[in-house]
Amino acid sequence: MKHTKRIIALVLACVLALALTACGKGGKSDGNLTMQIWDNSQRESMQALADAYHELNPDVTIEVQVTSWDEYWTKLEAAAGSGNLPDIFWMHTNYILLYADNGMLADVTDLYDDDTYSHYSDISIANTQGSDGRMYGIPKDKDTVCLVYNKEMFDAAGVSYPDENWTWDDLTAASQAIYDATGKYGYMAYADDQLGYWNFVYQNGGYILNDDKTAAGFDQPATIDAMKFYIGLQQNDWCPTQTYFAETAPGNAFFSEQGAMFLEGTWNLMAEMKNYPEMQGKWDVAVLPKCPDPVSGDGRATISNGLCYATSADNQDDEIIMGFLKWLGTEEAQQIHSSYGAAISGYEGTEQAWIDAFDQFDYRLNVEACIEMFDYSVQSVNDATRPNWKSKVSDELLKIYSGELGVDEGLANMNTIVNDAIAEGAE
Amino acid sequence: MWKRQSIAAKREQRWAWLMVAPTIIGLLVLNYYPLIQTFILSFSKTKTFGAMEFNGIQNYTDMFATPEFWKATWNTVYFCILTVPVGIALALIVAILLNAKVKFKSGFRAIYFLPMVCAPAAIAMVWRWMFNGEYGIINTIINAKVNWLTNPTTAILACAIVAIWSSIGYDAVLLLSGLQNISKTYYEAARIDGAGPIKQFFSITMPMISPTLFVTLIMRMMASLKVYDLIYMMIDQTNPVLPEVQSLMYLFYREAFVAGNKGYASAIVIWTILLIGVVTIFQFIGQKKWVNYDV
Repeated sequence: MKHTKRIIALVLACVLALALTACGKGGKSDGNLTMQIWDNSQRESMQALADAYHELNPDVTIEVQVTSWDEYWTKLEAAAGSGNLPDIFWMHTNYILLYADNGMLADVTDLYDDDTYSHYSDISIANTQGSDGRMYGIPKDKDTVCLVYNKEMFDAAGVSYPDENWTWDDLTAASQAIYDATGKYGYMAYADDQLGYWNFVYQNGGYILNDDKTAAGFDQPATIDAMKFYIGLQQNDWCPTQTYFAETAPGNAFFSEQGAMFLEGTWNLMAEMKNYPEMQGKWDVAVLPKCPDPVSGDGRATISNGLCYATSADNQDDEIIMGFLKWLGTEEAQQIHSSYGAAISGYEGTEQAWIDAFDQFDYRLNVEACIEMFDYSVQSVNDATRPNWKSKVSDELLKIYSGELGVDEGLANMNTIVNDAIAEGAE
Repeated sequence: MWKRQSIAAKREQRWAWLMVAPTIIGLLVLNYYPLIQTFILSFSKTKTFGAMEFNGIQNYTDMFATPEFWKATWNTVYFCILTVPVGIALALIVAILLNAKVKFKSGFRAIYFLPMVCAPAAIAMVWRWMFNGEYGIINTIINAKVNWLTNPTTAILACAIVAIWSSIGYDAVLLLSGLQNISKTYYEAARIDGAGPIKQFFSITMPMISPTLFVTLIMRMMASLKVYDLIYMMIDQTNPVLPEVQSLMYLFYREAFVAGNKGYASAIVIWTILLIGVVTIFQFIGQKKWVNYDV
């Protein structure tokens, strides 16, 4: 009896010791790779890529792990600090400069000895570059921001659907007409950068950061005009206030048929088709309305962001990991990725696969509009200090919305916040 | 302690150490080590990916000069004032009711304890929908249009209501165990002497469960000064009332993980520890007046 207890204790101790050592990480990868991502709706396409690669290279098995967006960056930063980054992980433009400039990511600029990278747009390539102009990730996807609208509400108000000739004036007029006819909200403008005011600022010829990323643009007349227009939309009866959005996300309001329009990223369209089956056929997408009288430019713009696949700088010479990364950038892999319809692959020519993915539904969204917008898309705003100013700028914006600050004062504060962050980053 | 011990006693002691070792090691590694690290971190300027440099009391002077920080401190204390007395009082009532002779007693106990078993995130999600100003069930029932979660005065009340709701069950179970330890003979004697239920409560029940009540009070106080998850789930970061509601731990989260200021965030943690420490010390001093240990 006494012996058995001891044996059990010994076994438990061994298990504990094993568990502890399992946390430590060996040097070279052994063919079992982990891939960390944040978007659950892309788990399927990532798994398809993992399976396809495993088919080609039976020695390499890739496990896909999903973590929620907020947790992802907390975890990744801790992992990077302690040298335990996952083998392959998604990188976002919000953070790539931070990671790349601090030497956390492997340089993949010379990964190909052919012209693979020439099949990616300049914006796609730029979204993977560090401040030194080198590439620190394989372009994964690209996106645009589009206008999503409720067809039934347009019909009820007798307003024609948004098209490429639409301007900001049409947007507000249609919103008013829908509100008058149905009592539902029109265009739902809320405190968001990529899916909100950035688009309007660039359409008006303004900017958030100047070209060489040395100064903020919140003091530019074009930026100020557009910001005032965008923030002022909530003054209308047809637009909910920011307090409404604090409780009800615009997407939720739209798909519970409380509002007629909002701006949505292309990466969410497939999930929304699947998650709201009863709404299929009742809504569609269009290009963003343009600015009728821009300070400069033709009034057209949409923010285009793109993710990339990255690996730790420690894996620079790891053939297994670099081999998988290299394959992810090929047309074959990008084609597989596009065909799942969640995100548009960066590789030019794979857009059709993404469009075709929407054929599976009885009602086919006009997703061609999203692709069309790449012609005048603007790279998502980004600089190395963005993580330091992003939340502060959005806090100021909320103060403007709540009336605590005047628009001019708030914008001036935003400008100072960004410029201070840039100055501090340059030290 | 230094008495000669028999071999058997020594052996037993060795085993005892071995048995408590996992807990002690766990405490040292998971609680005390991070505490010391946090303390050091609070005197450092942190950069990304763990790099840091010593900068003296800069974080503290910055912190004390920030109105947002004082607002968060007040919010935390206010939240504590809102939740603890009411929560404990309700828990005591529930405990007394559960101690009475009622049908389905164990069923009721399970029901009251249920919120404790649910994940705080899930609880907050559901309550958020119930509090929704436009479509929430609470506004439908009271037939009014209150923007519970976006009005600065009601937002913290809404959070307090949820906090009380989810803590009652646990506190009631603790208090119930105290109630059950009171011998029935006291009440019989009191009845014979002609004491009514109210008199019995204040002369027998209260003194007898005061030690349990004290422990519950301390624990609840600490928990509410550390409140984070509930407010985080109920009040989005895009909610304009956030500054009116954010607790110290919420501010800590935003500084450490959103803005990446881990040094400054550590200073907030140290401040919170001090705050909890001071409140607890006062409670231990105050308990001499009302807690009765002579049973």
